[in-house]
Amino acid sequence: MSVSRRNLFSKFLRPLQAGSKKAASTVGRAAAAGGSGESSPMERTNQVAVIQGRFCLAYQGSFCSVCYERCPVPNAIQLNEGVPRIVLEICTGCGVCHDVCPAPENAILVTERRPGFGA
Amino acid sequence: MNTNTVTASSVPAVSGLDRRRFLKHAALASAAAVAATRSGLTPPAQAVETDTRWDKAPCRFCGTGCHVEVGVRDGKIVGIRGDAKAEVNKGLLCVKGYHVGMILYGKDRLTQPMLRRNGRMEVITWDEAIDVVARRILAAPERFAVYGSGQWTVAEGYASQKLMKAGLANNHIEPNARLCMASAVTGYLSVYGVDEPAGCYDDLDTCDVLILWGNNMAEMHPVLFSRILERRNRGEKIRIIDFSTRRTRTSEFADDYLEFRPQSDLAIANGIAHLLIRSGTYSKEFVEKHCAFKTDTAEHTLDGRPISFADYCRELEAYTPEKVEEISGVPAEKIRMLGELFGRKDVRITSVWCMGMNQHARGTNINRLVHGIHLLSGHWGRPGDAPTSLTGQPSACGTAREVGTLCHLLPGGRVVANPEHRKQSEAIWNLPEGRLNPKPGYHTVQLFEKFCTATDKGGDIQTLFTQVTNPGQSLPNLHKLFKSKQGLEDKFLIVCDVYPTATTELADLILPAAMWVEKNGIYGNSERRTQQWFRMVRPPGNARDDCWMTIAIARRLFELGHPGMKDKEGKFLFTFKNEKGEEVPVWEWERYYDVNVDRALFEEYRLFTRLKHKDLAPYDEYVKARGLRWPVVQQADGSWRETKFRFMEFDDPYVKKGAGIQFYHSVTKDDRAQVWFAPYELPPEVPDAEYPFWLGTGRVLEHWHTGTMTMRVPQLRNAVPHSYVEMHPSDAAEKGFKNGDLVKLKTRRGELELPLWISGRGHPPRGSVFVPFFDERIMINDLTLDAVCPVSKEPDYKKCAVDVQRGSQRSARPPGPTI
Ligand code: SF4
Ligand code: SF4
Ligand code: SF4
Repeated sequence: MSVSRRNLFSKFLRPLQAGSKKAASTVGRAAAAGGSGESSPMERTNQVAVIQGRFCLAYQGSFCSVCYERCPVPNAIQLNEGVPRIVLEICTGCGVCHDVCPAPENAILVTERRPGFGA
Repeated sequence: MNTNTVTASSVPAVSGLDRRRFLKHAALASAAAVAATRSGLTPPAQAVETDTRWDKAPCRFCGTGCHVEVGVRDGKIVGIRGDAKAEVNKGLLCVKGYHVGMILYGKDRLTQPMLRRNGRMEVITWDEAIDVVARRILAAPERFAVYGSGQWTVAEGYASQKLMKAGLANNHIEPNARLCMASAVTGYLSVYGVDEPAGCYDDLDTCDVLILWGNNMAEMHPVLFSRILERRNRGEKIRIIDFSTRRTRTSEFADDYLEFRPQSDLAIANGIAHLLIRSGTYSKEFVEKHCAFKTDTAEHTLDGRPISFADYCRELEAYTPEKVEEISGVPAEKIRMLGELFGRKDVRITSVWCMGMNQHARGTNINRLVHGIHLLSGHWGRPGDAPTSLTGQPSACGTAREVGTLCHLLPGGRVVANPEHRKQSEAIWNLPEGRLNPKPGYHTVQLFEKFCTATDKGGDIQTLFTQVTNPGQSLPNLHKLFKSKQGLEDKFLIVCDVYPTATTELADLILPAAMWVEKNGIYGNSERRTQQWFRMVRPPGNARDDCWMTIAIARRLFELGHPGMKDKEGKFLFTFKNEKGEEVPVWEWERYYDVNVDRALFEEYRLFTRLKHKDLAPYDEYVKARGLRWPVVQQADGSWRETKFRFMEFDDPYVKKGAGIQFYHSVTKDDRAQVWFAPYELPPEVPDAEYPFWLGTGRVLEHWHTGTMTMRVPQLRNAVPHSYVEMHPSDAAEKGFKNGDLVKLKTRRGELELPLWISGRGHPPRGSVFVPFFDERIMINDLTLDAVCPVSKEPDYKKCAVDVQRGSQRSARPPGPTI
């Protein structure tokens, strides 16, 4: 897909977080980006996202591909027969997928980039 | 690609252990507010506390009818898990289902009755509120109307039905199911003489080929679709053919994706029938034994006109594969492939559909034609060979269709126009003879037209009472059918609901309602499965049961002397007794749960269900079961047996021995089903130079209908927080639009601006756009067309002509509801 999703998500598909309980996430994003204040989801951080299959709806045979649809980085999440897979080398660690994951237990873990984990 | 991918589990199929763990984890988290913890492991779910009480209920959302287990502690829902004992879903839920417990806990629940005085909503008492409603009715009983829902419980629908038709002799009662299932109903009635599918979900477990007629099952009936894909995981072969006007999540799993132009499904179905006849591969045996033929006429009636088989064949002559390709855009060779498939006896074919065929300017006809190709080819009457409509709503079947809360129906498949049916109903209700009104009331679109037209200009509906639905967002052509109520001083809108909605905006009186497991209930899903649950938690503040409201209004009318509130012995219509035989004044809220009103109403309603062989078991049987499919018939040993396959001797006790298949409600009274011919006809509005695109509307997986519940669940709202328009990348490029740009949609009825999502979840073909309708900030129904199927009176939300332009640059998001 050649169309950049960046515009799209910055304009409307971001969760509505203003002044909400999501403050923790926003802090997380700044930390993940290794800096303070607003940062672009396109900048690579020292973190990566990992899907915990046991919590993921798609892995359980239910339908979900929200992380795939909402990830702002082209090709960082691929979908195979409806099941998402994160490409660690492309993932910037922005954490959007975590914020939008609607699984009963959030299925996305943002963890430190290290050898074997996208480093 | 040489990339490094790591996931916690590397294969999609999960082990039994993982699955069980998942279900257990799912239990607590969905109802507790989920704190987003991005770094570090998600905290382990707490062990299920011993003081959590678990009880069963059907999911509040779609017509699939999954069962959940609801965990309650200290009067609050603390957990939801899929019910492994339920045949429908065997423990699995979709994303909405896992979060269903949280819909109760939005911050802005309506908790007090409110009356509009001098333009402001003021809190009043329930006594005042009920009195206001009763006096409005009393002032002009024939100008009162009720608009309910396929999300009404059976008891709620039945009580409203009784108040209106038995009490007020007023047939102006409609459910939102008119916007949803009406065409399926007229389809079943005109083909089999009786409503609702013959088959059930078991067909999905045995079919070799599944044809989805404009049905995005992966999003709309997700657990059912999972059930089908499970078969593939087990190594079974199932071929999925997806007919659609846009690529959806479902198409990704289809073996054949066949894209057709809006409305041309009529031509495709005729093309298949044409090939069956031409090649002689139709089932001569099935046709000779079980079928008769009919055609639609210029008047588009339910009965049509009988024709001979030869006439039928002649009508089909024009629908050659090439002709069908020209109309539909589906290649002739694909039509031939389908013709051959239906001609084969060694495969079992199940067709399913939902809004794609029902919300259709010729909805009744396309329903008839799809039944027709199954009957003609003999792909009918074996498990796995079935044409089956799915319902959108959890009780479209159970309440709207079976209880008959439509303007022309009486309970149990009876019609108001039939003197015999009125007599039977009067007998069960113990009414004086002649009480029931033989004239059908207004159907939904008419009803709202009359309500939104000044009284002196013929708008003879003055007071409208709505329950469990949000017409202010879900009706088509909202400017005409809803918003023009504003400023009509003598019109009075009463809205019973759980949250503020687009409908409460114009309400003159708001009644706060209890929802889902805050009340007792019974639903009936797509496969004739009747499902019961008990109240588990209390509604907030002064919210009360919808069914109580109806009974309290009836009681107030009785006190004010309305003669219709009495049966022929002078007794109040809603009289309930406890085990000791004492009457319980259930219209006093404190006494409402002194008896199980649901049980009492259900036992009364059951008496209506035998006529059309839709027998229901006693209430207590449903308490024990995860739903039972009717007819539920008592066995010699006293037990109650459900029926999976109707009209088929091997399963349906009402089929004559030796008949094999018997359509015992045949309209021709000879046990035959009707195979219909109906032509392809142009839709009421087609794109032109001024409005060059098709506009289609629908739902998304995460949101239920108008989003009033699901938009208040943080996870669901975060997942899809805003409506959007889908467009083909080439169309967007031609117009110079980029992903996320605000674009303006304009039809002859209205316009709005919304962001563009290219290559998102759905992929419309060139010349076509799609918009979901869940977002109350983006009312796509300001733009949709109010043209209806002439037989079912169901509007066509799936196609009208729209212009797409660049939006103004003011891109501030309009304010929405808070969560
Ligand atoms: S953190 Fe998630 S959303 Fe961000 S780039 Fe990685 S996969 Fe995409
Ligand atoms: S959003 Fe969450 S549940 Fe959905 S597919 Fe992605 S990881 Fe799985
Ligand atoms: S498929 Fe329907 S009934 Fe089942 S959990 Fe989802 S919304 Fe509820």
